[in-house]
Amino acid sequence: MNRRAIVSVLILLICAPPQPAQAYLKFGVTVGDQRVTLKWKPGPVQYFIFDSSVPGVTSPDLQAAVARAFSTWQAVPTSSIAYQFGGLTSAQPGDDDGKSTIGFENYPDLDGVLASTSFVVDDATGELIESDIFFNASYPWSVAASGEPGKFDLESVALHEIGHFSGLGHSALGETSLSASGGRAVIAAEAVMFPIAYAPGSIVSRTLKADDIAGISDLYPDGDYATAEGSLSGRVFQNGHPFFGAHVVAFDLRTKTMVGGFSLTDQGQFSIGGLSPGPHVIRVEPLDDADVDSFFDQSVNPVNVDFQVTFDGVLVVVPRGGDSGQVLVTVQNK
Amino acid sequence: MTAARRVVWVAVAIVCLSAAPVKAQSSQPAPGRVGVGFGLIWTGSQSLGSSDATETTGSGGDLVLFQTSSELTSRVGFEARVGVRVWRSLEAEASGTYATPQIRTQISGDFEGAAPITATEKVQQFSIVGGVLWRLPSIRQGSKLTPFVTGGGGYLRQLHEGDTLAESGQLYQLGGGVEYLFSHGSSGVKGIGVRTDVRAVFRTKGVAFDDGHSVSPAFAASLYARF
Repeated sequence: MNRRAIVSVLILLICAPPQPAQAYLKFGVTVGDQRVTLKWKPGPVQYFIFDSSVPGVTSPDLQAAVARAFSTWQAVPTSSIAYQFGGLTSAQPGDDDGKSTIGFENYPDLDGVLASTSFVVDDATGELIESDIFFNASYPWSVAASGEPGKFDLESVALHEIGHFSGLGHSALGETSLSASGGRAVIAAEAVMFPIAYAPGSIVSRTLKADDIAGISDLYPDGDYATAEGSLSGRVFQNGHPFFGAHVVAFDLRTKTMVGGFSLTDQGQFSIGGLSPGPHVIRVEPLDDADVDSFFDQSVNPVNVDFQVTFDGVLVVVPRGGDSGQVLVTVQNK
Repeated sequence: MTAARRVVWVAVAIVCLSAAPVKAQSSQPAPGRVGVGFGLIWTGSQSLGSSDATETTGSGGDLVLFQTSSELTSRVGFEARVGVRVWRSLEAEASGTYATPQIRTQISGDFEGAAPITATEKVQQFSIVGGVLWRLPSIRQGSKLTPFVTGGGGYLRQLHEGDTLAESGQLYQLGGGVEYLFSHGSSGVKGIGVRTDVRAVFRTKGVAFDDGHSVSPAFAASLYARF
């Protein structure tokens, strides 16, 4: 039965085409001639821990850190997704065995890749069948409560990878600086799903941000999400022409939080869900704070980054349980 | 008598002299039992506060991506009012107002150098207020000019642009003014006049971006009739 397709997602690179619907990025697969959102079917998602360790992190440490990260996602009140620990296993992440497995593997040749998430997808329905995560054992790891200088915080990176595991792509809510070697360092970010990790020692990414919460709630809505929250949609233009790949950020003046999305069609259409009702400031920026390939396959949709950061001159009101209606934003030329 | 004592004595004398004619007067009841009025009200701008869009640095600090400062603009609206005399100088009043101010948000200090801009949104604002009006003694005997003080509180309803979202709040006001009665009648309409007043308007919630109170001045002028 040929109903499985494997999609790879790395913490620094994402190779899946996005689903052109709502905010942040959700993964999408083509089923027949339709694009469907990649997600788990209802019910607790079972995961297993690969019985592995690295210096400073035992197998029980790994299990505890990963459990805390799963709990953080599961605690989002407007999301229904739930996870269940299935036990320790000797099966390695990446084995196509129907078990979602998480553990350390040593990939010294994967330069700059801290961790990776892979999927097995039912390509008849778009449902996730299996998702595996490996943490690259060639990097130094820590599970210390307050972090350790020079070591990456396992819980923080697990939280990011579990976002992928659950069906979320990357967020562009972050600022970076280019180093002399051509790499990027994070100055600040406002989403756990930002594709570049903070410097070793930081434990900031143990906490979900508004953008992450909007994303997971959009994928697995629960409670009063559909009636209490709203969305904002519109189109982005430059010189009268709509375009693909603009990063659109909605800033809530009341909660002081930001949720981002992208123009995801050639018609410049964007839609950002999971927003609190009320007026929002709209900021549109080029996707220039991370490798564009972390977000989109440019061979399919070239991304326009040749414009200035632009604010819309209209405060856009998000209604309760509805959509703002079409917001038209024209960006300024460089 | 020292200079200081002389000043005190002079001050006491002035108070006694000025108090005497007032004491001799009493407040003048308005003609008729019921009054209705309609006019314009200008309300000053209301600060909605400042907020920064921030991102989190690796050490847990804040990086300000951009800054915002918002206000509800000053505006002229309409006010309708009805009052019923409940005691000689005391009147119970109910009023309603309608205005269309703007929310104006100044955006500046963008981390990536975006040009500063002011983003706006039109709001429809309704209020229903209940309160009391107390007529004070006229400054001169027989004057048609009657000062008063007024106070009350009520309900504020604000509709965002396109009627996409309604927000509710509370409103309290305190102020004073004068009425000038320029026509007297004996049956039917017992009197016609104009009224002006200034108020301090306290608002909470509504379109405000926090739960704090804000205060703004208001000035109202109306025509009224008494029955």
